[in-house]
Amino acid sequence: MTTATIISDESRTVEARVDGDRLLISPTDLPAALGWELRPEGLCRGDVCVPVRQPAGLFRGDDLDLAAVAGALGRPAVVDAASGVAAVALDSEARRRAIDGLVAPEFTLADLDGVPRHLSDWSDRKRLLLAFSSW
Amino acid sequence: MALDDDAEAVRPWTAAITFPVLIDPDHLLTELYAISNVPTVVWIDEAGRIARPNSVAFGTDTFKDFTGVAAGPHLDAVRRWVEDGEAPMTAETARAAVGDLSAEEVLARLHFRVAAHARRAGADAVAGRHFARAGELAPDDWTVRRAAMPLQGVDPFGPEFFTIYEQWQANGSPYHGIRAGD
Repeated sequence: MTTATIISDESRTVEARVDGDRLLISPTDLPAALGWELRPEGLCRGDVCVPVRQPAGLFRGDDLDLAAVAGALGRPAVVDAASGVAAVALDSEARRRAIDGLVAPEFTLADLDGVPRHLSDWSDRKRLLLAFSSW
Repeated sequence: MALDDDAEAVRPWTAAITFPVLIDPDHLLTELYAISNVPTVVWIDEAGRIARPNSVAFGTDTFKDFTGVAAGPHLDAVRRWVEDGEAPMTAETARAAVGDLSAEEVLARLHFRVAAHARRAGADAVAGRHFARAGELAPDDWTVRRAAMPLQGVDPFGPEFFTIYEQWQANGSPYHGIRAGD
């Protein structure tokens, strides 16, 4: 047993097993790993459930294959099992709503002092979101 | 919002800034907002609607000779929006302004995230592999290629930058949004 970090809308570290190229997570750890939960209705997050045709296909033994879970959610993923790190894509619908619907996606990022801030913290104001860098 | 790995690298640049400065070391916003270069500015109104989508805009004329973009017109437009409520463009124009990320550009961002994490953990060889893969997948995306340079000990203002810049220009200077001078 080792640990793995799954980077999605947040970075979360959970216990995991490495099986070849696969990162395996216990079903009870899936919410902590990715923010989604496997229920009879499918993969669920809050009020949203994504039906899963063949839940058995997500499993390897008693554990969930992280890449298979990401695939069932329709989200691209990069899994580096040997390094214990994976990145799962964000919600592409949120990006499409931004581009086609002009709806600014909500996000949470830390300020320079490490305090988490949300776009909605300033929802009563006009805002300029300026992406810059030191490079 | 700084597309940087280390708050302490950003802080010196923000000494005179009074508005909130956030940091995005995993480049989440380059995926959520389809941002492919900096600086990128997005205007968001009180209702959370994007009034003016991704565009290149500068706060000063420091790089005007290199970029061809003066700061004045954009700042004037911001003032008119804030003070007079003047919309910068129609919603129809805004909706057509930003092309979505390709599958490769999304995958590049995932490899970049894995690379940045590996680097922070001291796994430089792992980081190098994923930075390289990210660059192969999205060679014209500055948030992938140029952002990786300081994370691999390469000067982002050095000769390698100009090589990438020329390739980007030869490929038509692609950018997800309203380009400089548009």
